[in-house]
Amino acid sequence: MSPRNSSETALQSVSLPGATGEGGGDAHVRRAGRQLIFSTYGALRAVKLYPVENAAVQKALDEVTNQSKELIASEEELELRMSGEFIFVNQTRLRLDLDNFASFSHLLSLFRACGIGRLTIAPTVGPKDWLIFLSLLQAPSTDDPSARLDQLMAKLESAGVNAFTFAPPTQQGDGDREKAKERAKRTYTQGVAATRELMASVRIGASPSIKKIKRVVQGIVDQILSEETSLIGLTTIRDYDEYTFTHSVNVCIFSVALGKRLGLGKLQLYDLGMSALFHDIGKSRVPQSILNKTGGLNDEEWQLIAAHPWLGVLAMFQLRGAQEVPYRGMLVAHEHHMKVDQTGYPRQIRKHPLGMFSKIVAVADGFDAATSRRAYQTVPFSPAQVMLEMRDNRHRGMDPVIVKAFINLTGIYPVGTLVVLDTFELGIVHAVNPLQDMLSRPIVRVVSDAQGNLMHPGTLIDLADRNESGVFLRTIIKTENPERYGIRVGDYFV
Amino acid sequence: MTSPSHLANGPKRDPEHLDPSFSAAPVEELLRLISKAARAHQLYLPNNPIYRRAIENLRAGFPPIWAEVDELTLTITESEIRWFDTPVAGEAGNKSADNLAWLFYKDGVRELTFIKGFEEAEVIKFLALIQRARKGSPDEDDLVTMLWESDLSFVRYGYVDLLQEGGVGELADGGEMQPVGAGEVQRNMREAAEESRASGIINIADFDATLYFLDDREIEYLHTELKREYDRDLRVSVASVLMDIFEAQQDADIRKEVLENVHTLMVYLLTAEHLSGVAYLLREVQVTVDRATGVTDQHRQQLVQLAERLSAPEALSQLLQALDETPTLPAESELGEVFEQLRPAGLSTVFLWLSKTQNEALRPLLQAAAGRLAGANTSELVRLITAKELEVATEAIRMAGALKTQAAVMALARILGDTNVEMRRLAAQALAEIGSPGAMQALDRAIDDSDRDVRVAAVRAMTARAYRPALARLEGVVKGKRVREADLTEKMAFFEGYGALCGDGGIAHLDSVLNGKGFLGRREDSEVRACAAIALGRVGTPKAIDTLRKAATEKDIVVRNAVSRALRGPGATES
Repeated sequence: MSPRNSSETALQSVSLPGATGEGGGDAHVRRAGRQLIFSTYGALRAVKLYPVENAAVQKALDEVTNQSKELIASEEELELRMSGEFIFVNQTRLRLDLDNFASFSHLLSLFRACGIGRLTIAPTVGPKDWLIFLSLLQAPSTDDPSARLDQLMAKLESAGVNAFTFAPPTQQGDGDREKAKERAKRTYTQGVAATRELMASVRIGASPSIKKIKRVVQGIVDQILSEETSLIGLTTIRDYDEYTFTHSVNVCIFSVALGKRLGLGKLQLYDLGMSALFHDIGKSRVPQSILNKTGGLNDEEWQLIAAHPWLGVLAMFQLRGAQEVPYRGMLVAHEHHMKVDQTGYPRQIRKHPLGMFSKIVAVADGFDAATSRRAYQTVPFSPAQVMLEMRDNRHRGMDPVIVKAFINLTGIYPVGTLVVLDTFELGIVHAVNPLQDMLSRPIVRVVSDAQGNLMHPGTLIDLADRNESGVFLRTIIKTENPERYGIRVGDYFV
Repeated sequence: MTSPSHLANGPKRDPEHLDPSFSAAPVEELLRLISKAARAHQLYLPNNPIYRRAIENLRAGFPPIWAEVDELTLTITESEIRWFDTPVAGEAGNKSADNLAWLFYKDGVRELTFIKGFEEAEVIKFLALIQRARKGSPDEDDLVTMLWESDLSFVRYGYVDLLQEGGVGELADGGEMQPVGAGEVQRNMREAAEESRASGIINIADFDATLYFLDDREIEYLHTELKREYDRDLRVSVASVLMDIFEAQQDADIRKEVLENVHTLMVYLLTAEHLSGVAYLLREVQVTVDRATGVTDQHRQQLVQLAERLSAPEALSQLLQALDETPTLPAESELGEVFEQLRPAGLSTVFLWLSKTQNEALRPLLQAAAGRLAGANTSELVRLITAKELEVATEAIRMAGALKTQAAVMALARILGDTNVEMRRLAAQALAEIGSPGAMQALDRAIDDSDRDVRVAAVRAMTARAYRPALARLEGVVKGKRVREADLTEKMAFFEGYGALCGDGGIAHLDSVLNGKGFLGRREDSEVRACAAIALGRVGTPKAIDTLRKAATEKDIVVRNAVSRALRGPGATES
């Protein structure tokens, strides 16, 4: 029997909502559950690619049938539940990694598009049931998810398939959402405070405490694994005065979220997060007068700014109180301004290819820096512009696959982007649309009406929503600078 | 989850479950077993029967609880562990690491929940955490971090974040923002829409979502990259970065700091027994010495000193001691890489450890590595032949022989005059291995050494090399009285040596020994005659064979056997 989640306590708990943690507690369910996902994915592909009578289809259907029956036999029930990026089999969360995330992602996407939050499979299920269900699941449709779920259930019933029971996704209540935001805010605030303390210690040549930094990164990893939207939303705060600290935390959040998207495990995300949070530690050795200089930098000043990657390596040797020497962090700090062709700065004398974590942090750093207002960039670029630049300008030297994954993570309009809708309303991007083919249609918080009246907190709407004729209700026509409208984006996330 | 400010009231409970559904006795017993198992984990190795019994007992403590519930939640106070309101472990006022309650409490853990299955899957991991927490210094990770990092599936915990006590302040509000009226907002929006139409800043076609799904090739690429990230030798990469910084930055203070870090890294590498990393660092230091520009004499000296410091007896002894004690030895090639970087001064320490090491697996590795180091530093090797420390000199002599170090002949010849018999034997052996004319010349004297082994080694070496200048001395011995008093091995060595060098000129004497009769018809003793037969076999000429045949019907079995072996040829006589 799988362990269950306990009731919430007054403590900070590491349990994921509705989950039993990364391990889930039941190795058999985890293993068999993953196998079921692979089989379902395989059957989906077979059904899509070949005629029904093809042996590959029959084999794939037999396999998924056997897998589901085996689970039902051992667990007495079989329920697949979708939650964020995760799939739960009964109460056990399946582990995502690089080997399986494509199949997970495809299945999640199809289930979301059909409005399926839970799927219960009866012991009577057979290959024919699976064939009909999987065919219907992949049928093209422009209807919204709830309508599709109704259609799917009706079609299954008329085809005599009663082995599947469906339920729509559980909506996150306002209370849950507020709690998630509260948690995210606390994690973020602690992150900024710990980074400030770290930088200050390094600046005065003291050995800073790593324990707090570790706790912060643990919090960020937990948060990203359970509910990333709230935390990513906070990266929009972009506080001018605390740029260096908020930037480090933002880069950590983006890196961990991107790492999750790339299938990294919890402890790998921890490594990545630690490295990301330290990536600019070298700036604590650059005079503040230069960091905060508003005018252009002369050559000498620029040299000092450009020194921060290697100064970061030296600064991290100062962290001797740390149990482990942060070698990986040193390398990320050193490489985060290098390009994939090994140019950039600092210049490599002993040539070596960049590490994956350095490339991830480079993308997160580039995005957050370019979209932030800071001393020598009073007008930030819009997130969409930055994204296009990272994608199209190979001279930026970012890893194209990681940029691609980053856009997949943030959507084409990243969280916090102010957009003008074709209804002449203003919206702030709240979250990426969970439907994978709707990257350009995020969930948006409408913050002004067509008459220009600003609203707080505004209303959340899904840009993938359509009217009865299948026409989208709202479409983004432009991204805008929030200052032009007197809007402080962060206010809508705090 | 709620905010830490609520924590003063302690963990919340589900109001429906305020009372325990069974007695506290099995929980108390379980906590007692956890304590005992934690102690056993600390004191004994896993194969120890006491350890095994403690773990078995602990595992057996869970089923009575699982018969009642699937999860066991414990509350932790300063000195007690409580189940509901009943204390089940701890001791009031005991703030030592022995008290599990205090151990968890001091790091902020306030609640622990064990889930059914824990006893099989994670009990050992959990006990290891307790041990680490008990032994850890205040600088090390606290239990909350340890629990987080260990990612246990069958344990949940609640904690108060003691690191954040006092609060962390508020999020900054992002600075002042000028308010904009509704009319202006509306106007700006319309302008923006016009701009958008005119410029087409966002082309939705650019953002075909399917472009951003990773294909199989890209996923494979990410696989490879992740593997590379984790296969990457971080220490070596950091070493490379440090040397890059040193070369690129001319500022003296920066270089000084880099050098300090290089020295620190060297210690870390040695501590981690990362020998290929040590070798890499030393190699790159040398590259930097040769290549970097504007290096001050002081910095150059510090760079050079790195290898010298490692070669000094104190540092190198530490390394060798660590190797002697390590359960898993590095590969020979890795050890060799480091030894190649050592300075000559390190050789004596290596020799010392060759004789000292208790680790039989280490010895051949050390020997091979020492060979490489000695081969590259002959003059030091020669110097060490006469080292005061007997162990060092012994290994140096052996190594000189094994490496056939010509330059060592003089030193070895001097050793032949030493009073220490063992050293003379080794020197003779080494000279024999070297086998050069100079070595043979040195050995010539050793034929008259007072020690039998030295003499035998010398004569055998000269026999093997057919060193003719020794003939006169050998002849003196085989014709003299001394050889007749020697044991069979020495007799054979001398006669064989004589036979190998004398040619037909020696047959007459050998014939007289083998076949001749002395005063009153008395023959030489059997062993001497047999040795003469063997010597004749070594001469091997027709005349020598004829002489041997005369004795073919000899009645003395020892002599007859020797004769027949000699007649069969040199191979036979050697057996």
